[in-house]
Amino acid sequence: MAKETPLLPVEDAREMALFFVVGALCFLAALATLSAKSTYGAARSWTAEVEGELTVSLPDADRRGAEEARQLIEATEGVREARLLSKQEIDALLEPNFGSRGLPESLPLPQLIAVTAEPDTQFMGPTLERRLTEAGYAHAVDEHADWAGDVRRMLAIARLVALTAVALLASTAVAVIAFATHAALLARRDIVDVLHLAGARDRYIAGLFERRFWLLGLRAGAVGALLALGAAAAMIFGVHSSGARSGLLPVLSLDIVDLLILVLTPVIAGLAARIAARVTVIRSLKSVM
Amino acid sequence: MTLPRHDLFDDVAVRLDGVSLRYDTSEDILSGIDLVLKPGSFSFLTGASGAGKTSLLKLLYLALKPTRGEVSLFGRPTSRLTRDQLSALRRRVGVVFQEFRLLDHLTAYENVALPLRVLGRKEASYRHDVEELLAWVGLGERMHSRPPTLSGGEQQRVAIARAVVTQPDILIADEPTGNVDPEMGARLMRLFLELNKRRATTVIIATHDLGLVRQVDAPVFRLQHGLLVQDVEYGPAARRRTDIVKTVD
Repeated sequence: MAKETPLLPVEDAREMALFFVVGALCFLAALATLSAKSTYGAARSWTAEVEGELTVSLPDADRRGAEEARQLIEATEGVREARLLSKQEIDALLEPNFGSRGLPESLPLPQLIAVTAEPDTQFMGPTLERRLTEAGYAHAVDEHADWAGDVRRMLAIARLVALTAVALLASTAVAVIAFATHAALLARRDIVDVLHLAGARDRYIAGLFERRFWLLGLRAGAVGALLALGAAAAMIFGVHSSGARSGLLPVLSLDIVDLLILVLTPVIAGLAARIAARVTVIRSLKSVM
Repeated sequence: MTLPRHDLFDDVAVRLDGVSLRYDTSEDILSGIDLVLKPGSFSFLTGASGAGKTSLLKLLYLALKPTRGEVSLFGRPTSRLTRDQLSALRRRVGVVFQEFRLLDHLTAYENVALPLRVLGRKEASYRHDVEELLAWVGLGERMHSRPPTLSGGEQQRVAIARAVVTQPDILIADEPTGNVDPEMGARLMRLFLELNKRRATTVIIATHDLGLVRQVDAPVFRLQHGLLVQDVEYGPAARRRTDIVKTVD
């Protein structure tokens, strides 16, 4: 005897449409999750970097005096590194404002010392201010952590928006699947009735729909995740091939967590479809005797 | 949950106590119906179109809940049973639907085997029985055809085979010979009688076909204005009465 025909007819046009919708939602959800995760990672690295850095400006010091100040700073507890910026580095910093020709030698420029604090050392600014004042240096200390708070707040909003998008897309996918399951159930009411009257238990009938929608969610989710992987890879390739510097932009790459998100997308879609199918079928069957 | 088989030997297979049925806000389709069918009994249900025969049968095969009253099968009031217990009861009831209700994507063979598949039986365990039954109803050559390619009569025979394949304790048939020729109709009636005699299956057949009713010496219930009355107009007993009248004449 040939293999038994499934009790639910094979996929029809309605299921193809649902497959497309679930696949598209999974693609968007996976992409939004990857973006949220990338934003989160970038925020962490930016704030960690910025919070541990200070710039000391010495307006009246010459190069030798600046070097002595640098040694004084570096000897301070909690300072990992103090580096005197070269003339070229200062020119590069001012280039966005004054162009690439460089500044006249006669123009008085402050000496700048980039200070990196030891990890977990906070609020170095007041300590350095005190030491430099005691040593008689006219100075200004710019603690980057002052404006890191603004960056943090902005990134927190960006993360929240991305996570809200993920939550909305995921709940939309579940709602669409539940709606489609209900429609499929109505379209196959004849089959459900015959099985019901033949003595099939509710969980047996629900199981048929669960299996069908689990596979549908799994397949559609896999297609969506693969498309998201393709889109992410294209973005990374695009950024890298254009030679964009990663100084301000987050470093774009796919790590193990990103791959885990892509692997989990079809599983979550399948489970959502399965649970939606079960709840819808059981609820619908309970409305009949 | 499986109900114990000794229920079959209860005094009553089907019992309706003051059963009424109403759809939405309309008037009662059925009103205060009392009915008792003993195990192994054979009865007919007649009545004009729209009298409520199909509704009454739906109550018997547990597709509907009565608006009032109680339906009991095998001595169990169905209003107090869990959904799993109701499913277990349905497995002991074979139904021939008026509109057949075959699944178009399954073959005739698979449609007949459906109740066995629902029971979780392996295909190898029932293949021979299903093939034999299909051959018996004259569909041995067409068992791999799908319902849309079968005639109305053939579909009806598939529906009947599906209803009897589990050898149910109760067989409910709604116009089971409506689409077959008289010869096949008589053959199907023999199948119902065989089940009734050999397995003590309780059979109730709803029909308009008075010729069918006259073939069997069985009680006839008639639905009229939502009420159920036992009809003495038909059946061999009625024929005997007619013969007596003729003799006296």
